[in-house]
Amino acid sequence: MSPLSAIPQTMYNFGSMPGTDAVRPSAMPTPGIDGTTPLGQPGEINPSQPAGDSFGSVLGKLVSDVNQKQTAANAAVDGLQSGSDVPLHQAVIAMEEANVSFQLMVEVRNKLLDSYQELMRMQI
Amino acid sequence: MIQPLSGIQNTVAALDAERTRLDVISENIANANTTHGVDGKPYQRKVVVFESAMQQAMGAGGNGSMTPQLHVARIDTDKRAPLEIYAPGNPDADARGMVATPNINIHEEMADLIAASRAFEANLAVVKNEKSMAMQTLSIGKH
Repeated sequence: MSPLSAIPQTMYNFGSMPGTDAVRPSAMPTPGIDGTTPLGQPGEINPSQPAGDSFGSVLGKLVSDVNQKQTAANAAVDGLQSGSDVPLHQAVIAMEEANVSFQLMVEVRNKLLDSYQELMRMQI
Repeated sequence: MIQPLSGIQNTVAALDAERTRLDVISENIANANTTHGVDGKPYQRKVVVFESAMQQAMGAGGNGSMTPQLHVARIDTDKRAPLEIYAPGNPDADARGMVATPNINIHEEMADLIAASRAFEANLAVVKNEKSMAMQTLSIGKH
């Protein structure tokens, strides 16, 4: 039994965790992301906003980038396991990149949720 | 595409190159006594030649600047003549009883092995540092 055989299982479990559904672009409009879309349309508040990528689409791009990193890491680990010419260090570094990107996404989400909750607590 | 670990492509390239160097050294050590190679001649010591080539950096949207990146240019053979030792019982011995053995000095190979594995380690330390910096940066503002 290979010492690395537990990795795909771990990666699989990681991918099927309920929270990571948001990583898949198809499942993107999750409540967490949806709840923040009003922040992306401050048209009435700031009419002079320059035309460009909306906040929602920037966030969507971040999520799909993180998803790509996860897919690349999975492909590298699969390649390593199936004996194709993927060196060990490349697979591990791909996994680390995926991990750091995911952490970045989680931090962005935490910040958004914090500011949303801060607004909700505001005295009227 | 986001690059959470900046400059990691250079390190990955260096790790690839050092890996190749380690593979070649292990091949040299393994064949230190091969008197009859695939071409019928004694095994020739192999040397890895590194070079640095301009590569498109994986910047935002793939249009990053050009950065020099390490890679293996070629794997050459050491031109030193084979060592002749007297072994008349060897089937590869010539009329004088001399056998041509590979031009490999095991001490030299071990020294190369140490250098290559330390270089590999150094690059791994860069990756580790890069990751811990990223994680610490992400925890800015946490209380």
